[in-house]
Amino acid sequence: MSLLSYIILTPFIGAAMLVLIPEKQTTFIKLVSALFAFIGLALSFYLFLNYDKSLGGMQFVENIPWIKAFAINYKLGADGLSVSMALLTGIIWFAGVLVTWNLQERVKEFFIYMLILVGGVFGVFLSLDLLVLFIFLEIAVIPKFILIHIWGSGKKEYSAMKYTLYLLAGSAFSLIALILIYIHSSTLDVTQLALITYSVPFQKFIFFLLLIGFGVIVPLWPLHRWTPDGHSSAPTAISMLLAGVIMKLGGYALIRVGIGVFPAGAAFWAPLIAVIAVVNCIYIALVAMVQKDLKYVVANSSISHMGYVLIGIAAMNTISLTGAASQMFAHGIMAALFFALVGAIYNKTHTRMLADFGGLAFQMPRAATLFLITGLASLGLPGFFNFVAEFLIFAGAFKVYPVLTTVTILAVVITAIYVLRVVQQMFFGPRNPKWDSLTDLKGIELVPLVFLAVILLWFGLVPSSITNLINQGIDPIVAQIGGAL
Amino acid sequence: MIIIFYLFSFLLLAFALGTVLSKNLVHSALLMIGSFFAVAGLYILLQAEFLAMVQILVYVGAIAVLVVFGVMLTRKGSVKDSNLPNRYKKVGALSAVIFFALLVRSIINTSFPAPSSPVVGANTIIQIAQTLLTQYAVAFEALGVLLLVAIIGAIIIGKETK
Amino acid sequence: MILSWPTIILEISSLGIGLLLLILGLVFTSLKSKATLGYFSIIALLLMLVGSFYLPSGATQTFINNFYVQDSLALFFKQLFIVSALLVNTMALRYMKPHTNNRGDFFALTFFALTGMMMMASAAEFITLYIGLELMTFTFVLLTAYKKHDLKSGEAGLKYILLSAVSSGVLLYGFSLLYGLTGALDFSSLVALFAPTSSPLLVWAIVMVLAGLGFKIALVPFHMWTPDVYEGAPTPITAFLAVGSKAAGFVAFIRVFFQVFAVYSPIFMPLLIALTVLTLLIGNLIALAQTHLKRLLAYSSIAHAGYILLGVIAYSKLGLSAILFYLLLYMFANIGAFAAVAALVINTGQDKISDLAGLWKSSPFTSVVLLVSLLSLAGIPPTAGFIGKFYLFTELVSRGYLWLAFVAVGMSLVAIYYYLVVIRTFLSGSVAEKTSMTIPFSLKLVMLVSVVMTIGIGVFPGPFTDYLLKVAQAFLG
Repeated sequence: MSLLSYIILTPFIGAAMLVLIPEKQTTFIKLVSALFAFIGLALSFYLFLNYDKSLGGMQFVENIPWIKAFAINYKLGADGLSVSMALLTGIIWFAGVLVTWNLQERVKEFFIYMLILVGGVFGVFLSLDLLVLFIFLEIAVIPKFILIHIWGSGKKEYSAMKYTLYLLAGSAFSLIALILIYIHSSTLDVTQLALITYSVPFQKFIFFLLLIGFGVIVPLWPLHRWTPDGHSSAPTAISMLLAGVIMKLGGYALIRVGIGVFPAGAAFWAPLIAVIAVVNCIYIALVAMVQKDLKYVVANSSISHMGYVLIGIAAMNTISLTGAASQMFAHGIMAALFFALVGAIYNKTHTRMLADFGGLAFQMPRAATLFLITGLASLGLPGFFNFVAEFLIFAGAFKVYPVLTTVTILAVVITAIYVLRVVQQMFFGPRNPKWDSLTDLKGIELVPLVFLAVILLWFGLVPSSITNLINQGIDPIVAQIGGAL
Repeated sequence: MIIIFYLFSFLLLAFALGTVLSKNLVHSALLMIGSFFAVAGLYILLQAEFLAMVQILVYVGAIAVLVVFGVMLTRKGSVKDSNLPNRYKKVGALSAVIFFALLVRSIINTSFPAPSSPVVGANTIIQIAQTLLTQYAVAFEALGVLLLVAIIGAIIIGKETK
Repeated sequence: MILSWPTIILEISSLGIGLLLLILGLVFTSLKSKATLGYFSIIALLLMLVGSFYLPSGATQTFINNFYVQDSLALFFKQLFIVSALLVNTMALRYMKPHTNNRGDFFALTFFALTGMMMMASAAEFITLYIGLELMTFTFVLLTAYKKHDLKSGEAGLKYILLSAVSSGVLLYGFSLLYGLTGALDFSSLVALFAPTSSPLLVWAIVMVLAGLGFKIALVPFHMWTPDVYEGAPTPITAFLAVGSKAAGFVAFIRVFFQVFAVYSPIFMPLLIALTVLTLLIGNLIALAQTHLKRLLAYSSIAHAGYILLGVIAYSKLGLSAILFYLLLYMFANIGAFAAVAALVINTGQDKISDLAGLWKSSPFTSVVLLVSLLSLAGIPPTAGFIGKFYLFTELVSRGYLWLAFVAVGMSLVAIYYYLVVIRTFLSGSVAEKTSMTIPFSLKLVMLVSVVMTIGIGVFPGPFTDYLLKVAQAFLG
């Protein structure tokens, strides 16, 4: 058992512990969940610190035979990419537990499902066997369905079902791809798969299946339809996990499996991805602009931001891929912060309609400040990690798709428009006496928000600590591309 | 031989059709007895005398009588129109005819292996007994259990419970 | 003549215990002492299960004249039947109490059905196979109609016996054609006699055997009886039908189509593929419209027959072991689901899906069991169902049926939808007037075993796949 197993097991053990606690002891349940979230965060941070950057490559590898008849191993390993994603998961999990501190309804079950979900996410980022990765990916789906269905808001029944069917339909494609890969090479070990040479038509077909399968999660236009409903209906902590981590599973898997194993297939489909990325960025940003519900704005902005990741992936060079992975990290934190803020404000005002707000800065200056910070991060202002990530993506992608990249940069402008419009509508303008009774964010509400904002700023100021790490994970993958083309 | 075969076959089919088509349940039962006899005749043609005997003894002597008993004891009033009509008579007849035609076509197109010529006058009872109690011992014993299950079932369903 | 008794010891003990139970039921006069009969049956089954592991499993043994064989395939299926009978009888301990007046005949009948299934697993000759099948079917008819004052139960029994009689007629017609064409009915002679060329009548024989056995495994279009019988039968018997009877149908199917008709696989394969696709489509699509849990599970069991047949279509050692693996996990998932239904029926007398609302509160344990069982049926990891489907689909694709895998995966998605509808019903719902459910200990035990096995096989499938691969290798040589 290595560190990685401990990280994956922590949430599952936590869930098992929670089963044993009587459901009436809600405070105790929350404390235990927070404790396990902290352990998870500490372990992933420990992993972040102890990953030997001078060595690079896969570290902490653990390989235990699982199904001998299929030659499937429980194989874990972490490179720069996985380490950064695991750290992201740890951060958002911890913040998510704190955000949920005031939950009253079915507390025990909520945290059990949340912990299973997080365990699945850690598993995806840290496993090196495709079947194991797929299993963890699926483990993350069903708890999410239950979480949205029971604790969600709005048209939660519809959203939960839509989300689940979209994701499982995607999985159906990746499952077929998985089976084809397995039949072709009789192993599903990612590191071994990367060493095998595949015929180009095979690569094209497999990458196409993977593109649909993982693209649903990213989400890729036009497979993105679950996202706005899913994000908006989910309870705050789950929206944070959904936008912060789950969407990144798709990007991660596309880079690790899609590009890492099937570079020729990726190269064939890359122009399509680039075009879709532009649609994601521009079209969805425009959609975000006309939304009336605050949560829908944020949800659409998430899809739009994942478009940058996609064009980074499509460009397939070191800089753009590093940028894409960095953007996943940056956007993960930023989106989580956004949803946490929306949730916190909703808890006070019980509305999410933009038209209802106005002048909130008078009553809630701290919320306004944090919102502004998040908004500025979202539109990629220098000083935040998002700027670094987007800059890397554009710098890398411009060489390959000069026109498309230029068009994509337009999305930054649109983002600026809708973010500033939201900030203006909500917080500025004349003081609205309707909200005079509101108290500003304080105490435990503030902790996760400040925690996330500080991380965003910290990596904005010292980006190299994480971009170097990611870069080390990307380098072998890019070498793979170079070998194939 | 051939003529007798076709005679028995024709009788069998006629009786069977009559059983199905008759509206009176008692008539049906009686026609069924006729068809049992015709089958017994076919058995004799195949030189399976014992089987023919058993066929008459068991089916005519026991089962048909039981059926008549059942009909007479359970029905109140007239037995006219006691055989339930079937909505699917035409469809059933059509599909049966098609199925029959297809089978006949297949049978004509199939070459059967030459039948092993039976030993005339051989004691079929001994042969049957030997087969049943050696090769088919398991099936034979299981048949006994099957009968037991049937009896238990009759009791479970028939017995009045509070 | 040498009789190899170990070949048949399980059947003899099952029969003997059944008879003993009947006699004990008459000897014990007080109601209280009769109540011990159920426990007796469970202990006896446990002993049989333990004993079965000490039977020689390596080489194929025959009882007499190749008509009755005990190979590792037969032994695996017999153990599967014993486990399912064990779980079913435990489930029935309390469930059947109002209907049996503590008589011993209910439990005796389950043993007779078990004997019939075991005969089907070992029979290597068509008449023996047929007698085993009839013994099982007939017993099931009685068990189905056991709640004789319940109109639905009686109707189900009547439907089952009528349709079974028709299917038996077809099956026997098929056998008679085979005999007429070859002069033999035992599998080894038939294999030796079959020439690669076929006559039109032989095709008919194969089609009729397919139809007759297809009835038992609920293959579309021979599935019509399933929903009504499943709904009307007492819930433990429904579970036994869905698990035991279906597995018995499959073992006969495997023997006949993998072994006897192996030469003719090019002839029956297109038909089998067409029927499998139909089974997958109809089973899953009609399940969408169901409002009662037992009917839903009936259609899902039809659909699962389709998934298992994918392994037959793959027609390989791995395909066979995938079938065996799937039957194993299917048993635990289904028993878990039916045990949850039994808990619901004991408490509310209903099995409507909408009645499940609030189950998370009234019985969290039952809702977890139902959740895990349904997820396993849907094929979601980490339950065993996922590994089973992965195994089947992998083998299918490696045999070149990529399109069929797409159909099957697509239909799994449909299945996931209707399972999710059930799941979301019992995980939410108002709880104001719901009091907590009382669930007998025996039922809890069944649920616990099935959940532990469903997740256990999903997380540690290695030992099971290894063992079943050996079984398949031994069978196909």
